[in-house]
Amino acid sequence: MERIQDIESASTVAPAAAFPLKASAPHAPAQRNAFEVTTLNVWYGQKHAVQDCTLNIPERTITAIIGPSGCGKSTFLRCLNRMHELVPRARIAGTIRFFGQDLYAPQIDPAVVRRRIGMVFQKSNPFPTMSIAENVTVGLRLNGIGNRAYLRERMEQSLRMAALWDEVKDDLGKPGVSLSGGQQQRLCIARAIATQPEVLLMDEPASALDPIATMKVEELIHQLSRDYTIVIVTHNMQQASRVSDKTAFFYLGRLIEYNDTEKLFTRPREKQTEDYISGRFG
Amino acid sequence: MADTSRHILGTYDAAISALQNDLLMMASLCERNLRNSLGCLLNRDEDLCNVTIADDEEIDQLEKQVDKNGIDLLRRFQPVASDLRHVVAAMKLSGNLERIADQAVNIARKARKLNRAPLLTEVSFLEPIYREVTTMLSDVLHAYTEANIDLAIGIPARDKKLDAMNHEITEKLTVQMTKFPDRITEYLDLVFIARHLERAGDHVKNMAEDVVFAIAAEDIRHMGALRPGSAADLLGEKAVEPVPARIEEPPAA
Repeated sequence: MERIQDIESASTVAPAAAFPLKASAPHAPAQRNAFEVTTLNVWYGQKHAVQDCTLNIPERTITAIIGPSGCGKSTFLRCLNRMHELVPRARIAGTIRFFGQDLYAPQIDPAVVRRRIGMVFQKSNPFPTMSIAENVTVGLRLNGIGNRAYLRERMEQSLRMAALWDEVKDDLGKPGVSLSGGQQQRLCIARAIATQPEVLLMDEPASALDPIATMKVEELIHQLSRDYTIVIVTHNMQQASRVSDKTAFFYLGRLIEYNDTEKLFTRPREKQTEDYISGRFG
Repeated sequence: MADTSRHILGTYDAAISALQNDLLMMASLCERNLRNSLGCLLNRDEDLCNVTIADDEEIDQLEKQVDKNGIDLLRRFQPVASDLRHVVAAMKLSGNLERIADQAVNIARKARKLNRAPLLTEVSFLEPIYREVTTMLSDVLHAYTEANIDLAIGIPARDKKLDAMNHEITEKLTVQMTKFPDRITEYLDLVFIARHLERAGDHVKNMAEDVVFAIAAEDIRHMGALRPGSAADLLGEKAVEPVPARIEEPPAA
């Protein structure tokens, strides 16, 4: 049944009763869906940003979302961890299930959702007053973890996973903003994975980076996909083609086509997809 | 939606047109050379043999030009979907056209040799296979320019017919060799010419497979002759209309 939730009144959401999502069993034999999105509609005031979007995102895959500016791809991404709720007058209809459980059920705490479903933004945004090490562990500390040895271990592990450890291990006390743009973005990825989310949402994570830094981030995405479900919004279609397993094409708020990346970029089903990816409109 | 017939980048449309035009120029020269190669045998025309052999140089240069254009296009625009398929297909088609032209040269060389000997009436054995292979080449080029998948899909079956014709000619000429052993060298040349025509047919079949890939994104290689109606099956899942190769109007004289 369709349920409409007025996000402005979402402050009445029950406080963080432990987010009752079951952790995904590691190395489960059959691939499950991390997300099952059904008839998703999103409005910002009168603007109908996402219309009747239905798709499943399998776990431990990289899914790229492409489409021209204003097509609803970032809105869709933000709905996956309830970040859109931070936009005034945002409304949502439809359901998003995360490993089978309704992300928008009243007992679900959005803060816990965002811990389990991490996000990396277009512009790297390390906390300017914090050191590199503090930037990585801030999420853990905000969640009440104070064990220094554990924090140190998680920090190193996250920086290693983000392929940044070797570059910063001698400068952990320096400000995060002292790093280059590409390093800052990888620092943000380290920060996102420090809380051990199951999913990483990436909103144009390499669009502000030079080609070498972009390749490092893409390689990192590839490495992370062994452990994480990754959903990436990108304007760079070659990047979508290189890094993703599945691709969704949005246009004017609608999901036009969702398919294996290899198929979508060699034999798109829809003419609108073909025209967009081959540069005939946009 | 905006006009979708043209790329946002005019330079892309110019590049793909240049690629297609070079390929079609190569195709027309190749058709002409194949036609001339047997013409010079049937008409005992030594000058035509020499022209056919010399013209191969132009086809070789065009093959290099098509490859260069294709690589430039891939490097500059990173095409996807039907654009990518058409670029890849153009590069593969040019390779097969060049090999067909090589077969024409082989035929012309043997024709030049045969023309210096007394006429063999058995030359006429080659006409049916020659007609079939030239028609197949013409059809595959039409299939490419008109995105006619039915025409392309029918080619592999016709190549099998060509193989049978070659086999039959070889048998007939073998009989003649036993009857007239003093002319065995000339009969062998005719056997080789039939073989060259059959090889040209193999390249036409390869081209048909590339054309099907360009139109429908389906790899039909090593699938044998496809049954009638396969085209509908191949295009069945596909909502996108087949995209014919673009041909630019020649500049006004």
